[in-house]
Amino acid sequence: MRVIIVGAGEVGYHVADRLAKEAHDVVVVDVAPERLDYVESHLDVAVIEGSGASPAALERAGIREAGLLLAVTSVDEVNLVTCMSAPSREGLVKVARVSNPDFYEERSALQPGSFGVDLLINPERELALEAFRLLQATAASDVVVFAGGAVQLLGLWVAEGAPIAGRPLAKVGIAESGGHLLTVAVEREGNTIIPTGATEIRVGDHLYVIVAAGEIPRALELTGHRHQKAQRVMIAGGSVETYYMAQLLQQHGLDVVVIVEDRDRAQELAEKLDHTLVLNASVTDVELLELEGVGGMDAFLAFTDYDETNIIASLVAKHAGAKQVITLVNKSDYVPLARRIGLDAAVSPRLSAASALLRYVRRGSVQRVATLQANDAEVLSLAVTPGSPLVGRALADIEFPAGAIVGAILRGSHVIVPTGRDTLRVGDAAIVFALPEAVQPVTQLFPA
Amino acid sequence: MNPRDIARVMGALLLATAASMLPCLPFGVREGLTGPWLASIGIVGGLGAAGWLATSRIQGVNAREGVAIVGLGWVAMVLAGSLPFLFAGVAPSVAAAIFESTSGFTTTGATVFPVIETLPSSILLWRSVTHWIGGMGIIVLGVAILPLLGVGGAQLFRAEVPGITVDRLAPRILTTARLLWGVYALLTVALGLLYIALGMSPFDAVNHAMATLATGGFSTRTASIGAFSAPIQWVTVLFMFAGGVNFTLHYRVLTGRWNAWFRDTEWRWYLAIAAGVSGVIFVALGLAEGSWTEETLRHAVFSTVSIQSTTGFANADFAVWPSVAQVLLLGVMFVGAMGGSTGGGFKVVRAAVVTEHMFGEIRKALHPRAVVVTRLGRTPIRNEIVLNVLAFLGMYVATHAAGTALLAALGSDVVTAASAALSAMSSVGPGLAAVGPTANYGHLGDPALLVLSALMLLGRLEFYTLLVLFLPGLWRRAGGNR
Repeated sequence: MRVIIVGAGEVGYHVADRLAKEAHDVVVVDVAPERLDYVESHLDVAVIEGSGASPAALERAGIREAGLLLAVTSVDEVNLVTCMSAPSREGLVKVARVSNPDFYEERSALQPGSFGVDLLINPERELALEAFRLLQATAASDVVVFAGGAVQLLGLWVAEGAPIAGRPLAKVGIAESGGHLLTVAVEREGNTIIPTGATEIRVGDHLYVIVAAGEIPRALELTGHRHQKAQRVMIAGGSVETYYMAQLLQQHGLDVVVIVEDRDRAQELAEKLDHTLVLNASVTDVELLELEGVGGMDAFLAFTDYDETNIIASLVAKHAGAKQVITLVNKSDYVPLARRIGLDAAVSPRLSAASALLRYVRRGSVQRVATLQANDAEVLSLAVTPGSPLVGRALADIEFPAGAIVGAILRGSHVIVPTGRDTLRVGDAAIVFALPEAVQPVTQLFPA
Repeated sequence: MNPRDIARVMGALLLATAASMLPCLPFGVREGLTGPWLASIGIVGGLGAAGWLATSRIQGVNAREGVAIVGLGWVAMVLAGSLPFLFAGVAPSVAAAIFESTSGFTTTGATVFPVIETLPSSILLWRSVTHWIGGMGIIVLGVAILPLLGVGGAQLFRAEVPGITVDRLAPRILTTARLLWGVYALLTVALGLLYIALGMSPFDAVNHAMATLATGGFSTRTASIGAFSAPIQWVTVLFMFAGGVNFTLHYRVLTGRWNAWFRDTEWRWYLAIAAGVSGVIFVALGLAEGSWTEETLRHAVFSTVSIQSTTGFANADFAVWPSVAQVLLLGVMFVGAMGGSTGGGFKVVRAAVVTEHMFGEIRKALHPRAVVVTRLGRTPIRNEIVLNVLAFLGMYVATHAAGTALLAALGSDVVTAASAALSAMSSVGPGLAAVGPTANYGHLGDPALLVLSALMLLGRLEFYTLLVLFLPGLWRRAGGNR
């Protein structure tokens, strides 16, 4: 499929990278030649210099053959005009990145389907949602939800003294959790492996487990964490993400404290967030953080626009005793670093946006996709159709691609965490965990 | 500052005042007061015509001139309105006539006459007419019927309509003014018809309807509304309450947005105060008198709403009620009605802003770096407005203190002086002690009456409009301004 990406910024670059690796024909359009040079020299994509809002530039990029148009510049209005400029025809899906909260207000004229936009992607809001899910599963480093939250994929560190530490997987997991927990991947010393029953779990491993929602406390307990509901949350920084996050939290009745360094931005946020305490101070002012009780917080979110500030503030909060710390990092190099220096979880707007976009690219049999931040592994939700070679065969008998594993089967309202004896039926949705190189072969097993 | 412009606008206002005297003329003719009425109309109309002819075209009114026009206009109107009382020979002194006229136009409803029934009917009607004109504001009326003020209309409007902001019902101020007066007239006619249906004489119905919607308080009876039946009193409660509500809300409700009242934060405060204070007073009265009848409830609710809406009608003598009831009534007398209504007082919206700001300051003590936003409901209030409201509070308190001191110096006791000053500033009418609902202001003496007249005007025009008249800067010609 030909994909046109307008905007070679962080989001555009990352999405282009992913799509190109999956053998799509990607054309990147941007007004800045130096950005295009960078893209061209790093990725296997074509570049066109010009404005996405110009029909001529889109024409040169091959809009006639394209199946997908992603307008992901950092300017909402440019993205919208780009989608409006592109011809509306069968087979072309147009996606606009829109961040401004005003466009999402009630009764906003901007709806999917209006202005020639088929899908609105909001990276900042996606990030806030992701961080919110992390808060709900306190100790998790990653959370991906499926089937409206009935099944979740959690990233969990194996803590000192965890019941499952030192034992092979065959002896834990399914047996001890009553059949609703499956470890799909183990991250150890920078490598990601798909475990077998013989794989031994060690303290310090980072596990990806698939659990039914009700089993989350059990999963936390097995990995040596205590489950508790967050009530008091402090957010550092006045970014757009902060706004969405605070709004989400106050809607759910949590106590939110926001610290903003810029006086005007603080005033603006204080006016917009009516149940949030906004403080105007430096986010690395240790004395102030302690005065405002950072140590007693159930969660501390470092959401300024600067990675380094976020990391420092997170360390201060962690040191002071905040129970869960979530750090926003823009540079993907920092994501694994953040973990290594002891921060609980890192989130990245770029990856959140990419997840949201990629979720849409492989429509058809793929219902929902998430990308894990640390290792680029993907979680796919695939519909089982009559054309699939997998129908009616026990999972143990299937030659599943290496680097991929069926984590759960959704059958109607039932969630099955499978063993080798389970079979896939037409109408099921299979949740598959796949390392990047396994994504393509797996999706071929599930024809639309 | 262009004196000719001002003269022309003043002229227009005086002509309007003269025109509003015309309905009283036939009544005056019938009771042998043709001379006094013709003289009043002649003098006011003549001065008005002279002013009107001072220039042929107004160049436009700026903010400053707007304030001056409203301030001077009200003074001129009040003086013009006192002429019938003087010429008809009913007022014992010039000061008494000015007091009665001021009390009418500012919709206070305090009177110098001990017995009302013996007054000529043309004078009774004139008292009600002054209420009705003053309620929505003569400037607003002027803006509504005479497009002569041009773009400056909005400035005048702002200077006369109470409250912290002016809600425009339409993009053009002229249309807004017309809509407001339309709603006002409609409600008045509706109440008048209701009164007649409930057994009032047409003359009483017209007078009370005008006095109620204007939240005035002049009655045609010495016993005020207490002279009428219980159903009439309950209907009056409803319409006094309505008079104290922002008229833009009434307009919205009348045009089909039924929830406009309930959605408005200030309205909810207004209703909560009315319900809460009525309830407490009902209990206090019930305990004191040992009777829990409809009459007790009616007295409690009527007095509360009458004072809160700053109407000043009475159906009971609350000056002899338990202290807690009197203190509460003084409280609602201070807070008063909603902004944008015909009522007076500090205004519910300001009280709400001050309260919210207070809690914000307490929060700040706990979190020194907190950015506290004062809100009305969910709407943030800009800092300048909060400061303006606080300054207004200071002005209210200071003016009240000065007024109380002056009245006390002129021989009133403390309770009388304090309640009379507050009552005048909030344009209520009755106070406590010697100026309670069964008493009148005639015995206070001319100097006190003039002090109270000044307080009434200050309160009605919300201080700034009147006080800037005394700033020399207003009268200096701004260099290069035009």
